Amino acid sequence: MTHRPASDARPDAHAGEGRPAPASAGIFDPGLLDRCISCGFCLPVCPTYKLTGQETSSPRGRITLMRALEAGKLADGDPTLAEEASFCLGCRACETVCPAGVRYGELLEQWRDHQWRGRRRPLLARLLMAVVSRPGLLALQRLVRRYATGRGGPRRGAVPATAPTGSGTARSGGAPARDGAARPASLMLGCVERGLYPEVSRAVLRLRPELAVPGGQGCCGALHAHNGDSATGRELALKLGERLDGVIVTTAGGCAAHLAHHLGRERVAELSEYLERTGYRPAGEVRVGGRRARVALQDSCHLRNALGVTRPPRELIAAVADYVELPNAGDCCGAAGTYSLLRPADSRAVLDPKLEAIEAAGVDYVVALNPGCLRQLRQGLRRAGSKVRAIHLAELLAMAENGSTAR
Amino acid sequence: MRGDLARDLAGIVGERHVRVDDGALAAHARDATPLFEASPQAVVYPGSTAEVAEILRYATANRVPVVPRGGGSNLCAAAVPLHGGIVMVLTRLNEILEISREELLARVQPGVTTAALAAAAAEQGLLYAPDPGSHTVSTIGGNIATCAGGLRGLKYGVTRNYVLGLEAVLPTGEIIRTGGRLWKDVAGYDLTRLLTGSEGTLAVITEATVALLPKPKESGTGVAYFASLADASRAVTAVIAAGIVPATLEFLDHKCIAAVEEFARLGLRLDAGALLLFGDDGEADAVAANLDRIKGICADIGALEVTLAENVARADALLAARRCSLPALSRLGPLTVLEDVTVPRHRLAEMVDRIDEIADRYELRIATFGHAGDGNLHPTCVLDPHDHAAIERCHKAFAEIFSAAIALDGTITGEHGVGAAKLPYLEERLGADQVALLGRIKRAFDPAGILNPGKLGS
Ligand SMILES: Cc1cc2nc3c(=O)[nH]c(=O)nc-3n(C[C@H](O)[C@H](O)[C@H](O)COP(=O)(O)OP(=O)(O)OC[C@H]3O[C@@H](n4cnc5c(N)ncnc54)[C@H](O)[C@@H]3O)c2cc1C
Ligand code: SF4
Ligand code: SF4
Repeated sequence: MTHRPASDARPDAHAGEGRPAPASAGIFDPGLLDRCISCGFCLPVCPTYKLTGQETSSPRGRITLMRALEAGKLADGDPTLAEEASFCLGCRACETVCPAGVRYGELLEQWRDHQWRGRRRPLLARLLMAVVSRPGLLALQRLVRRYATGRGGPRRGAVPATAPTGSGTARSGGAPARDGAARPASLMLGCVERGLYPEVSRAVLRLRPELAVPGGQGCCGALHAHNGDSATGRELALKLGERLDGVIVTTAGGCAAHLAHHLGRERVAELSEYLERTGYRPAGEVRVGGRRARVALQDSCHLRNALGVTRPPRELIAAVADYVELPNAGDCCGAAGTYSLLRPADSRAVLDPKLEAIEAAGVDYVVALNPGCLRQLRQGLRRAGSKVRAIHLAELLAMAENGSTAR
Repeated sequence: MRGDLARDLAGIVGERHVRVDDGALAAHARDATPLFEASPQAVVYPGSTAEVAEILRYATANRVPVVPRGGGSNLCAAAVPLHGGIVMVLTRLNEILEISREELLARVQPGVTTAALAAAAAEQGLLYAPDPGSHTVSTIGGNIATCAGGLRGLKYGVTRNYVLGLEAVLPTGEIIRTGGRLWKDVAGYDLTRLLTGSEGTLAVITEATVALLPKPKESGTGVAYFASLADASRAVTAVIAAGIVPATLEFLDHKCIAAVEEFARLGLRLDAGALLLFGDDGEADAVAANLDRIKGICADIGALEVTLAENVARADALLAARRCSLPALSRLGPLTVLEDVTVPRHRLAEMVDRIDEIADRYELRIATFGHAGDGNLHPTCVLDPHDHAAIERCHKAFAEIFSAAIALDGTITGEHGVGAAKLPYLEERLGADQVALLGRIKRAFDPAGILNPGKLGS
């Protein structure tokens, strides 16, 4: 019987080409890359793979690219590496379906750290990062607002120039909530939100006046971590953790996930989680034209995919309105932090199916849980001439408190 | 060379659908098989049968290898471009062309995923029976090219049983249509069956007509825990011997249970040596009766516990968890070398014992799961990718496992195929004369030897 030993079955020409890699560049945590077994289960959920249908813009393909980079098979300046590192939305949908437990979000941060080191990072991202990491630079935050609202000029309607900026000291040290939960909690004023949507924080304080709002908060660093500067991202998160007492309540899914990664899950609560935990019961409901409003939700990717928070926001909406589930509520809206600014065309292409679904659902409002998503939905809906309005969960609940009959 | 190739291919499919950048080549250097990797010189995404034909004519004329590719989920390195050349990705051809309730069939392009076809059929109250664990990513073209099996194989058979007709392009560029829309048709050699399982070495499949079934009214699932995999194997034999052919009989050993539980968190029992997942579908009464009888048989064999899933959601969760066994196993160690042997069902327990003995002797961690009802086992070696000595031992252990399967009247692959990984063992299974015949068939289809060289027929 001609039974060749199995080792000969591996063709010579390719010996040593597979794993284990001969050398490694030390860009990625050893062990993180090894986890992927290339099964491809992550392909169908990836929004960029849906756009191109090409392996390179799938999670599996990107991990293969990272491996090639790590093994020195792709050059540092390789254009495909650069393109894919920036094309990825960082939505982490791929992580939720990966049976092997690949921590793609961490890999992406390490990849971008390397890819965008120094000059290669997009200028606009660098500018934004510089602005948001300095607490108190309100004038500069107007710049954020200008960029964030796009070239189309200022947003319709006057945007108040300042958010609640905090009093410098914790206002109440976190007085007990209605159910008597005694743990102190502070409201985080997101740097983008502060500049762009100060009304969100104000709405939160209407719902939960006992939240402490320390001043000079700065940025949590999520923006940096997602744009190739993990070290600053981590530093800012730790600093913010020191500045804010107790549980940090955030109104931004991206910040929540980033902070939870560096400060621990127990330190961080997204608004809906916090409201649920403290036994919040909305008073009143939101009505439109004499009937209960129809309201849909857009999940925040990082909230859903990184922290697994999906139920509390839905239940809160259902308590004040008729909740409508969008078929693609869990798919990325294309905002993805700075993505919509850096890659507007791709960002729109990801958003389009969602706009269609929102229109088809016949809702009055679509709720977002993150300022970036809010901005993305507002711009998209406006562009499409839709009557549907996008608002933050906090605003919806504040409207219900007022017994609002908007419109 | 690369530049010429890019230009020539772009002339056929348009520039947008050709990639020759290093990144794209690296991304297509492998499928889901560990330890095999080789880069192509170009990747091309054709958008029509005519383009496929033109690419193949070009490749034959210029002696450039072409490797067809679907979802790239193959587990025997069948989609790895060992000799370089062109990787032809067929996922742009992803339309469901027709679903006929009158004729109980579907006509689809090759890039449609198995799950998409199943969902479209279900919408019409129909069932596409083949059900590989990889169904969300694998394509119908890939399923046919590998004759994929799956979780319903016991009652419903494998992909081969559902392919009625094919449109395929020969390496020389001719477009042929084999079979058609008929269950009964014996005109000529059965080329439909020959192409099914040909692993992209004879022709490129560009359209398939597949049989559908009426969707079963009810389904049910249960779980039995045993002290050992050998006990679970005995239960499988007893179920079949009792004249019951359920839709699903899958088993996992304790290492797989632990890995799957870590991913899916279903509350599986971690103290059991093995788990048998059984399921059936059909009329409600018959399903209930069959599940009850299987429950009784498992108890008689000495099951530690047998429970029926209380609802569809729980049953779906169990099946989904089973589909994830392989990737979940990689949580135990980052290099998972999975194999695919089949033995007659009544010899399952013997085969399981042999695998354990071989694993012990080579000091390897081999977890085993599989489509127990089909006698199809997936012993999976979990390794440290940097431990070269262990990888060597792993190859030797699998060589012995293949021989053991053949000695028990079994085979070296039940569903994943031969690919590059199993080619050295093919002769032991088929004999020299048959392997030589395969070579002659290959040359008849592919005189220039350009289609997926280094695999079947080479
Ligand atoms: C987690 C996991 C679970 C799996 N479970 C199962 C299972 O239960 N049962 C099972 O049988 N397999 C299983 N597989 C293996 C794999 O999914 C199957 O072999 C599948 O049929 C491959 O389909 P694909 O589209 O991914 O093909 P690819 O991997 O892209 O290609 C496979 C082969 O088909 C050829 N090919 C692809 N498309 C065409 C075409 N249009 N024309 C001609 N040739 C073509 C390729 O050249 C190659 O030889 C599993 C794999 C994984 C990773
Ligand atoms: S699902 Fe996970 S293991 Fe599978 S290819 Fe994607 S990242 Fe890799
Ligand atoms: S993070 Fe999102 S866009 Fe990036 S690879 Fe994962 S699923 Fe795709």
